[in-house]
Amino acid sequence: MSGAPNRVVVVGRDAALWLAAAALRRALGGAGVEVAAVELPARLRPGRVHASLPPLEALHNRLGLDEATLLRATQGGYALGWNLVPPAGAPFFLAYGSYGAPIDGNPFFPYWLKARGLGMDAAFEDFSPTAMAARHGRVLLPDAETETFGRTDYGYHLPALAYAGLLKSIAHRAGVTLHQARDVLVERDETGDIRAVIADAGVRIEGALFVDASGSDAVLAGDAQPFVSWTAEQAADRLLVGHAPRFAAVPVYGETRIARDGWLALHATRGGTQVSFAYNSRNLPDEDALAAASALAALPLGDVSIETLDAGRRDTPWAGNCIALGAAACRLDPLFDLDLHVAQLGIVHLLSLFPVSGNFAAERDEYNRILGSTLARLHDVGAVFHALNRFEGPFWEAARAAPVPEAVAHKIAAFRARAEIAPMEDESFAPDWWQALFVGLGEAPRSWPPAIDTTSPERIKDEFRRVLGFVKRKVLDQPAHDAYLQLHGGGA
Amino acid sequence: MTDSRFHIVIVGGGTAGWMTASLLVRRLPANDYRITLIESDEIGTVGVGEATLPHIKMFNDLLGIDEAAFMRATKASFKLGIEFRDWDRPGDRYIHPFGAFGEPWGGVEFQHHWLRARAAGHPVAALGAYSFAVSAAEAHVFDLPDEDPASIRSTYSYAYHFDAGLYAAFLRDWATARGVTRIEGQVLDIARDTASGDLTALTLKAGATVAGELFVDCTGFRSLLLAGQFEAPWEDWTRWLPCDRALAVPSMHSDDFHPYTRSTARTAGWQWRIPLQHRVGNGYIFSSQFIEVDDARDALLANLDGAPLAEPRLLRFMPGRRERSWIGNCVAIGLASGFLEPLESTSIYLIQAAAIDLANLMPRAESRGTPFDPALAAEFNRLTTMQYERVRDFLILHYIANRREGEPLWDYLRHMPVPDSLAHKLALFRARGALPNYQFGLFARDSWLSVLVGQGVMPEGHDRLADSYDLAMVTAKLDDFAGRIARGVRAMPGHADFIADYCAAPAVAAA
Repeated sequence: MSGAPNRVVVVGRDAALWLAAAALRRALGGAGVEVAAVELPARLRPGRVHASLPPLEALHNRLGLDEATLLRATQGGYALGWNLVPPAGAPFFLAYGSYGAPIDGNPFFPYWLKARGLGMDAAFEDFSPTAMAARHGRVLLPDAETETFGRTDYGYHLPALAYAGLLKSIAHRAGVTLHQARDVLVERDETGDIRAVIADAGVRIEGALFVDASGSDAVLAGDAQPFVSWTAEQAADRLLVGHAPRFAAVPVYGETRIARDGWLALHATRGGTQVSFAYNSRNLPDEDALAAASALAALPLGDVSIETLDAGRRDTPWAGNCIALGAAACRLDPLFDLDLHVAQLGIVHLLSLFPVSGNFAAERDEYNRILGSTLARLHDVGAVFHALNRFEGPFWEAARAAPVPEAVAHKIAAFRARAEIAPMEDESFAPDWWQALFVGLGEAPRSWPPAIDTTSPERIKDEFRRVLGFVKRKVLDQPAHDAYLQLHGGGA
Repeated sequence: MTDSRFHIVIVGGGTAGWMTASLLVRRLPANDYRITLIESDEIGTVGVGEATLPHIKMFNDLLGIDEAAFMRATKASFKLGIEFRDWDRPGDRYIHPFGAFGEPWGGVEFQHHWLRARAAGHPVAALGAYSFAVSAAEAHVFDLPDEDPASIRSTYSYAYHFDAGLYAAFLRDWATARGVTRIEGQVLDIARDTASGDLTALTLKAGATVAGELFVDCTGFRSLLLAGQFEAPWEDWTRWLPCDRALAVPSMHSDDFHPYTRSTARTAGWQWRIPLQHRVGNGYIFSSQFIEVDDARDALLANLDGAPLAEPRLLRFMPGRRERSWIGNCVAIGLASGFLEPLESTSIYLIQAAAIDLANLMPRAESRGTPFDPALAAEFNRLTTMQYERVRDFLILHYIANRREGEPLWDYLRHMPVPDSLAHKLALFRARGALPNYQFGLFARDSWLSVLVGQGVMPEGHDRLADSYDLAMVTAKLDDFAGRIARGVRAMPGHADFIADYCAAPAVAAA
């Protein structure tokens, strides 16, 4: 192998395949990089929905995919965050946008914590325009005032089949060569590098670099790149997924309902609602899962499937000349539905580390380092949720008892001791998102930075009133989700 | 009436002690905390940290200090970066600036466009021509940056050269006026709780006893409390940073009034030159394994461009750090916590970062009398480790990438094994011009770029995303950017003139 790779073969299916192929070709086509996509049979059933995090918008921009087109073509909608509904007590909202605004240069959260201790009853989410807009079924359009206030980030709920189709057409238009195969044979050289893949029709597709976007099959990465399983410490080992009719008014957030035997998540779109129910087959036999899910959802479920969860990741997602991407590289606990985000992270880092010569050891090392760090921070999210849950039932008891990584133990200790989110590199979520998570789970830190005590109680009260007033006014100014989608997302 | 407030006792009144005292008195509520600083006129301070980083401005702003008043009081000059002379090879020089090189175009970092145009045979200028700070430093001009992000004059920041002894004195006045109690005296005896091992009180030579809840060790290399009482293990970094001595000497003010720190490589180390308003600070940092002190003194004195104002003073140190800076109820800040040579002027920054973290993680006043939550110290130590290790890697970079062949120290440095974290960064830059990019701690991408290229490390490739952009357009942008810098620099006042107008120290103004 000598020169810089100019031919990339992406083997896979669904969104991960087409996102990767389209992004590589769009970004590097001008630099002479050819991209071939080998499409394996789709795994997606009708009614599947992707939840996305805010950074997806930036990747779409690189694909030349604007938001109106995206929403029109997929009949998807906006997602401002997650509504977590415990069996007892108040629901709490995990918003992608800011909570509160700094006071005297200090973060907002400790002020809220202190005021709560003094009897104030406003919830943390009451100070988040994003959370409150979501609760009122409205979107949150950024303007000069919200920009001054803080982040107004959002994600989407995207019907998966339509989204994959849209990405495929973008890949095609960008000049990606398309192949289809039921399965592929992998041809390796003496070093173990992949030389070509052979599609079932006998077509041989050569490349210098291979991307495995085939999901948990990992048809290229497979045995060559060992997979470290997390199943032993995972709360859920099954995910039931079904399709339900659309809500009359499409919620602008995902909802997760906590039950004794697991949790149920709803992702609403204009085309219908995805219902997923995670449980552990130790506590709940598969044959009882549908009844449990239907009761929790209070919706009729169709197209039901049950998959076995096998969480874990490859320590070296990039080995030799093969990069495992998305679920082929890492499968997280499904609680926060981060699959699409995992795929996106792999793509974005591959773009910024695309080899410049035939010897790409440095790129490979850096890719594996940064993916390792980023995925570890994502894994922390589910680990914190499970470790700190106070819910009843064997599912949640087991989750509490599972061992936690050192970084998670440190995060929890730092939060309890000081209401601080210990700053770590490569986080996907903002500190105030983490704070909302901890508070929602019932954590009450023992202390806060003493600096906030130099702010007078009157000033704190004034600031709180100002923010609550701002949130209320801004939310009332916003259009309802459905109305906004009709105007800007292609009707229906 | 007894004072029931949580008592913080700082031992040592150098830059570290007074910066910590000032920050704590500014950040902590006076109803809950009181702060005492014990210092002795009989114990000298090191105070070599006369050059700073731009972060110091944020620190002063946090205290609400007026810049011109502070500069007058400390006889300060401006600093736009550091000039490295003879570091790569004798005769070579470059400036590590406080500011950006160019700007990203099409989401691709500047250096890739520069590298690509260069590889394509376009006559690109040297990297420094695309940095406003470098160009202004070379021209010996200065003005405050523009806040309008569209202006070319918003692309740099600045720091100061000052007399660290005067800065400590300035902060002493500032802090004592705001409630910090200063006690003159030497610590004779240290009492500890037998059960917990915590420090309880210090007895001074004059007989007074000072009890407290939290003790901050700012005693410099001695590390009277942390090392003296807790035997905190020392992590030795001499194998990467062999310089262990410094000779410091002030010299007469000269007309060579550069708005940057100068660092000149020497046979057994390097020499600094820091122009203040009233004098020039000089020093030779060297490795005692490679030169005798007398020879180093001769070399230093032979390389002054003005008459020395004192006998050179010898400092001994060991590069490295305590594995933990906070143990029990004792926190070390400054040299008591670790030492990294002042090659990149990081000493004062490390003090500042530790003081801010300590204020943030200070045990609650209500917790007085109960053991501190160990998570507070754990987080402080994690952050401190990160800060020191990041600076360490950046310092080592200057040494390993040298081509001073035939000089034993430099030959050793060029061939020594480096920390894995640094080897990885070097490999990545060599291969494709990619720069380390982390969110917390020093240094930013542009700093890495300037030193890597300055030390002669040129990447073999560049990000291929840059190849998608029209080459003629990129070269036009490069030329335009350098032109805007050149015009902007031409419109700026001279460094000396700006200071005379803005912040001349009284004695200097009268002269």
